[in-house]
Amino acid sequence: MAVDRRLILHINWQLIGLTLVLFLAGVLNLYSASGFRLEDGMSVAPFYQKQLVWGLMGMVGMIVFMLPNYRHLKTIAWPLFWFTCLLLLAVFFAGKTIYGAKRWLDLGFMNFQPSEMAKICILIIGARILADEREPLGFGRLAYVVGVGLIPAGMVIRQPDLGSGLSILMILGGMILYRGVTGRVFKTMIVAIPALAPLSWFFLHDYQKQRILTFLDPAKDPLGSGYHIIQSQIAIGSGRFWGKGFLEGTQSQLRFLPEKHTDFAIAVFGEEWGFAGTMILLTLFCYFLYQMVTIARDAKDLFGSYLAAGVFFYFFWQILINMGMVLGLMPVVGIPLPFVSYGGSATLVNFCLIGLVLNVSMRRFLFK
Amino acid sequence: MAHLSNQNEQQPPRHGLLLLQALILGLFCLFALRLWYLQIHRGEVFSVLARENQLRQEAIFAPRGLIRDRNGKLLAVNEPAYALGLVREDCKDVDATLEQVADWTGEPLSALKETYSKKRRLVKPFEPLILIPDLTFDQMALFEANKLEWPGLEIRIRPRRVYTHGKLMAHVLGYVAEANEAEMEKIPSLALGDDVGKLGLELMLEERLRGEKGLMQYEVDVNGRRLEGRVLKQPRAGYQAVLSIDLGLQELIMDWLRDEAGSVVVMDADTGQLLAIVSSPSFDSNAFTAGLSPEQWAKLRDDPMHPMQNRPIQSTYPPGSVFKHVVAGAGLANGMLDPSEKVNCTGATRLGSHTFRCWRWRWGGHGSTDLLKALTESCDVYFYKLGRRLGVDRISEYAKAAGFGARTGIQLPHEKPGIIPTREWKLRARGERWQGGDDLNLSIGQGFTLVTPLQVARFVSAVINGGKLLKPELLKDGRVTVQGLLPSRPEHLKRLKDAFVNTVDGARGTARRLRTKDVTVGGKTGTAQVVRLTDELRKLKDHEIPYKYRDHAWMAAFAEQGDRRYAIVAMIEHGLHGSSGAGPVIKAVIEYLFHDKILKKKRKKPIVKKVTNTASNASGGEE
Repeated sequence: MAVDRRLILHINWQLIGLTLVLFLAGVLNLYSASGFRLEDGMSVAPFYQKQLVWGLMGMVGMIVFMLPNYRHLKTIAWPLFWFTCLLLLAVFFAGKTIYGAKRWLDLGFMNFQPSEMAKICILIIGARILADEREPLGFGRLAYVVGVGLIPAGMVIRQPDLGSGLSILMILGGMILYRGVTGRVFKTMIVAIPALAPLSWFFLHDYQKQRILTFLDPAKDPLGSGYHIIQSQIAIGSGRFWGKGFLEGTQSQLRFLPEKHTDFAIAVFGEEWGFAGTMILLTLFCYFLYQMVTIARDAKDLFGSYLAAGVFFYFFWQILINMGMVLGLMPVVGIPLPFVSYGGSATLVNFCLIGLVLNVSMRRFLFK
Repeated sequence: MAHLSNQNEQQPPRHGLLLLQALILGLFCLFALRLWYLQIHRGEVFSVLARENQLRQEAIFAPRGLIRDRNGKLLAVNEPAYALGLVREDCKDVDATLEQVADWTGEPLSALKETYSKKRRLVKPFEPLILIPDLTFDQMALFEANKLEWPGLEIRIRPRRVYTHGKLMAHVLGYVAEANEAEMEKIPSLALGDDVGKLGLELMLEERLRGEKGLMQYEVDVNGRRLEGRVLKQPRAGYQAVLSIDLGLQELIMDWLRDEAGSVVVMDADTGQLLAIVSSPSFDSNAFTAGLSPEQWAKLRDDPMHPMQNRPIQSTYPPGSVFKHVVAGAGLANGMLDPSEKVNCTGATRLGSHTFRCWRWRWGGHGSTDLLKALTESCDVYFYKLGRRLGVDRISEYAKAAGFGARTGIQLPHEKPGIIPTREWKLRARGERWQGGDDLNLSIGQGFTLVTPLQVARFVSAVINGGKLLKPELLKDGRVTVQGLLPSRPEHLKRLKDAFVNTVDGARGTARRLRTKDVTVGGKTGTAQVVRLTDELRKLKDHEIPYKYRDHAWMAAFAEQGDRRYAIVAMIEHGLHGSSGAGPVIKAVIEYLFHDKILKKKRKKPIVKKVTNTASNASGGEE
């Protein structure tokens, strides 16, 4: 495929730059977080090295996602959707069980998690459907779109993987809000969602209920389930304005901080770089999200715009939930912070989705 | 937006874009505020909390109280032991580490794994779990050279109890060993791996000896290294015990007994303090502190000589003729005995169809016998008649008042009370009524009566100290505790005491071998029948009787000079005759106490194994 020189001219270098800065900040933070205390000096577990390798693979994935015109996705949206559902079904029958959950397909050389693919798939099919909606969604259309989303989401929740299932629904939900709903639907939702939310309590597992209770009162069990919440807040808070300095965080280096290289990575960052550092990071994330808004705004067609909005929500929810959890504003949910937390396949998917919005962005001036 | 797509219907949703921007703004404001709150507003508070996280507290071992003998010689001390611990949190591969430890120490891997899984839930992940309590120097060197490759392993220095005379003092001191779960539950300050007294004074004085642990707080740097520490609470050393025991005397007695089964008690007759309390054979307390292997334990437990038995307080024997003083005391106290009244001993007396013999029946008996002669020469017939006259009730009552049939209350565990039979006791224990023959057996200390050597020593003390029944005391600064008074008038006690002395000084006394220059010595021999010898066995010479059928030898004595007086009791199991079996060791004790002389036992022949001098027996030196 010949690449039009104009395409390269229109690449959104700001977004690429932001992504790389966030990713490198994450790797640096990981280097500190994975410090493993030994009697003589410090040896570092190779998390940051692995993360670098995944990042490089991610960048390759990003370029691959940039190359073909994203419009082709519109054509293959439905086949891709059904194919994903088929994979989820395969997981149900032939999946590999790890820690009591059936989430993986064994491909021989690696374990593949179709639920990750479902997240990408949902924003493509969402964009495909919503781009054709001429009017704000009424009850009927809303039910149709949500119904489509529930097919993969339901299967993922059955695995059981409540977090990923809800992510799928939340990405789609965000996109629906972006499209807009009729006044009646909006009013009804404003009343119904808070009213029905407490009912979900009865569908939660015990450990999930426990997390919510602990969130409400972490001091009740400071060494047990409240430990993560208390220790992560101590870590961040003790960073104060300037932080303790790179590799100087006592909370993280002495392993008072749990899960510090994955879900709680930002606590390490906050301890070592202080308020100054966390504000810069927060600003970078907001600017990063804003870049996606501009892409959604400038996209050549609605399909592209909805794709960008989908990717926006993909990242937005993760940032909101992860930071909310670490900062003690939300119950503990195992959701990583994009680019900052350690995680191979998550990093790969993140870069691929950046590639997708770059794809939309660079083709904004092209005619059909 | 002017340059955007020219297709109006393709315009991205305006409200949607606003929504996204509002969400970004909301996200920023929410977290900026929260970060400001956590890091600026409450930063100071969290800094303090983080600092506290860096502080670790650790207990400082309190030195267990040292134990000395009455002359200040150390008996129990504390030495550093090097224990190998495993910190789970730092250990990368527990199985491989355990294998390596097994390789270094030669400890079986299965035993290490069992220790690990047993202690796992009792030790916090960042605290060392003790795998080997006591490394040898070579093992430690091996470990030090390789420790970098095995994170998680660390050497812990802990105090270890060492007994300087493990075998001499084993039955008095007992031993300490690692506390078990029940003990840890009972005593909250005990942590896993701490030692606790299990037997002897170590057990009885546990609370005082243990002391109080201190508390140390230290800071750890980012690499986990300890920075300066601060003592929050000083440890309080345990009580330093000074025993009433004289180590030299204890050693002398042990040397005399060698490995014969028996006990010797030396008691200060005025204070109740024990200068020596020996149980033989003994064991080594130190074997227990290091942890006994199952084989070692089985060997100790199954030893036919029962080295674990603390004989002076746990073994009960028929008192034999030693009991005649008790019966005489009962007669005098009840006013039913005229000391000058004479009984003609013809060598035997009859009760119903049964003949009860005096030990001199072969020589035609003792002839005309008064109380002094009866006690001095140990005439059985005299006491048969006295016993019949008194009856079991009066004898038992007096014996109980003399401290028999009840624990002495010595500060050692598992003491036995012995038995003073009564009519009710026999009915209850044997299901039979008390018979006249039982009176006769009782009056010469055979039959059902069982006493411990310590009880005899306490009785002898009471006879010479004016009737005070003293609690045997093991601590030099222990209070004198009078537990009761013999119900005898002073002149009665004097008669008993004179009889003791006459037994040593008189021409026909059975304890003449105790005579010592410048010291008033009294004594009484006794034989405790192990089995009623059949006539066949009776015909055998002493050395031909199988060991387990030989009689036990008693000797109860006292020695007095100026204001110092001691009761000395020896019981040699299967020692045959009181004087020859138990006498020499008492003689050695007296020489040690009053002349500072150390009589060495003649190494030629052990008392038990070979013949004792039957000639002296025939000449009337023995009962």
